[in-house]
Amino acid sequence: MPNILELNSIQTFIGQFHILEGVSLSVAEGSITALLGRNGAGKTTTLKSIIGLRPPRDGAVIFAGTDIRGRRPYDIAALGIGYVPEHRAIFRALTVEENLKIAERKKGDLARRADFIFGLFPDLKKFIKLSAGQLSGGQQQMLAIARALVPDNRLLLIDEPSEGLAPILIEQLMTSIRSLSAHTTVLLVEQNFRMASQLADSYYLIDDGKSVQHGAMKDLVNDRATIQRYLGAAQA
Amino acid sequence: MAWINQNRNALISAVIVVIVLALMFNGMSPQTASSVILSGITLAALYFLVASGVSLIFGLMDVLNFAHGSLFMIGAYAGWTYYTNPRLLFNTGSLLLALVAGFALSPLLARFIVLPRWARWLAFLIAFVIAIFSVRDFPIDKLVAMGMTMTGKVIPTAEAQEPMTTMLMRLAGAFLAGAVASAGIATRSAERRAAPMQQTIALVIGMIVAAVIILLAREPGEQFILQTDSNWRFLMAMVAGALTGGAIGALMEWGLIRPLYSRPIYQILLTLGLTFVFDQVVRFVWGPAGAFMEIPKWFNTPSKDCPSDNLWVWFAQNCDSVFIGGRPFPSYRLFIILVGILMLIVIALLLQRTRFGMIIRAGVQDSEMVEALGINVRRVFTLVFAIGAALAGLGGVVAAPFLGVYPGMAMEFLLQAFIVVVIGGLGSIPGAVAGALLVGLARAYGDNIVLAGIQLPWMKDAISGSPAIARASTVLIMAIVLFLKPTGIFGKKD
Repeated sequence: MPNILELNSIQTFIGQFHILEGVSLSVAEGSITALLGRNGAGKTTTLKSIIGLRPPRDGAVIFAGTDIRGRRPYDIAALGIGYVPEHRAIFRALTVEENLKIAERKKGDLARRADFIFGLFPDLKKFIKLSAGQLSGGQQQMLAIARALVPDNRLLLIDEPSEGLAPILIEQLMTSIRSLSAHTTVLLVEQNFRMASQLADSYYLIDDGKSVQHGAMKDLVNDRATIQRYLGAAQA
Repeated sequence: MAWINQNRNALISAVIVVIVLALMFNGMSPQTASSVILSGITLAALYFLVASGVSLIFGLMDVLNFAHGSLFMIGAYAGWTYYTNPRLLFNTGSLLLALVAGFALSPLLARFIVLPRWARWLAFLIAFVIAIFSVRDFPIDKLVAMGMTMTGKVIPTAEAQEPMTTMLMRLAGAFLAGAVASAGIATRSAERRAAPMQQTIALVIGMIVAAVIILLAREPGEQFILQTDSNWRFLMAMVAGALTGGAIGALMEWGLIRPLYSRPIYQILLTLGLTFVFDQVVRFVWGPAGAFMEIPKWFNTPSKDCPSDNLWVWFAQNCDSVFIGGRPFPSYRLFIILVGILMLIVIALLLQRTRFGMIIRAGVQDSEMVEALGINVRRVFTLVFAIGAALAGLGGVVAAPFLGVYPGMAMEFLLQAFIVVVIGGLGSIPGAVAGALLVGLARAYGDNIVLAGIQLPWMKDAISGSPAIARASTVLIMAIVLFLKPTGIFGKKD
């Protein structure tokens, strides 16, 4: 499979702070790739660097063959990258429908994808006229993912989808993400190792702003030493 | 029920306001009360036009625009110029357009030369010198004075304007200045984003041709404008004020504020500085004295049936005032209220019913996320800034026949608009409405106290106040609101 996304040793700063000191990774088209690491390792910043919200100062971000480093976020997103940020950054003052409509890049995107989206998340259809702030945490997370599905995206960047959700919702969410991957490629940041290990085909470990190790997920699951070293004892 | 909970604070404040109003008007004759209320709403409409823009801009981009009062003032002056002194407009507008045409060359120039940093400053310097030379001895004071002395009359064309050949030379100078300066802003990235070359060329040529036509047609054009019906002329003046405000607003955001989005203190210093710049520009171009603006015929026709107590008679006869609650009220002020209400409806529809409004509402919460969805948020920022500025410009023209045009209006309305948005809550349109009504009514009530004094039940004589009371009362309301609810009545952001 060809790689849809490649990062070549990107260097990202936030203010004076050197956050990413060389993250390199490649994501194969059609796969689910998990980005793992401790809190503050730079996983979220990596996603933000890809979408352009924290543009890297150096290195290369190659999406579908072109270097997109330094382009504006709207420009990058329009190439077909959907971003699902952490903390369910949906627009609380807008209705569920407006939250989806705003993601349209062409008129009628939502109508075209409605069956697919509401098939995955039937709750959203039920509450379509409700203001998004009134949804439960799980529904808000589904809305955030659904929003990224409205346009034709070739790559989804999903940040901590399981954060703060009840176990039963996490199960539901995993089913949804798994069925997504039939249509798009997913780069997933996830603290919940159990969830990540069941979803992802391959993994990248990030530690202290550097990508330190990668491989097939099934190899990592049995490698307790590595898990303990980079993700902490609780995950092992 | 949920709605009541969500708006609990607003409801409580509304009840308090009603009680305070009842106390305020207690013992006042119905005639006085109705005229105070109407005057208050008139002021409120004007405050709303300025404050809604301040609020929108702050809500979306967290920029506190201190120059918003200046945009109000510039709008008023632009409208006045169109309405009363179009000669000034033709003679200066063409030069400005030629200058802009020069600037528009920049994406084209970027294809051939991109200057190093030091040469850019040199280009700006040269452009500045050329600009100075091309407007040397320009008789702007005479042009302005003509309009002041002969309000609304057709002025003999030979006077006050320079011969056409001189003006064409100045036009060429202005274009050259713009073109040299545009070399200074020509960058590679500008070239990459720019429209195709043919479009740029067409745009520049179009603007030059338009500038020359405006200049050549200055005499018939002036006659034409001054001879049109004052109602239409005023409507066009409103358009001119709104367009001027909008254009300056867009330029401000694009050229000055955009580089400073991550530095709020600098933005405040910049916009505050701009108020002084605009103040001096207005004093230089139009003089420090200020001017009156004639009320258009529709609201200003004396007739034997006037003032009438019947709205239909007023409408048919275009009375200058109409009896409301037993007292004549200037009908032009009713028009101001109407414009305020119309603009409120337009803003509400824009925000609630259009995709653009949806993007604004989403951007108020999280503009980064909006951009990450593939929407060019910077363009939205520029547009919203332009819309807010256009509202202020429109407000200025509408206010002009009521208050006149004078350089001090910028600061006065800036201060009131800030009080309005602070009371109502920054970033909230309902808040701007509530705040404008509160401040407007307080001003009108205070003015009434100054005129008639206040009769307290336990006192024999009315105590009268000084004019400062009217001004102080609004600040006092602000202090009370901030004490009770630091984010303002409808505010969510702090």
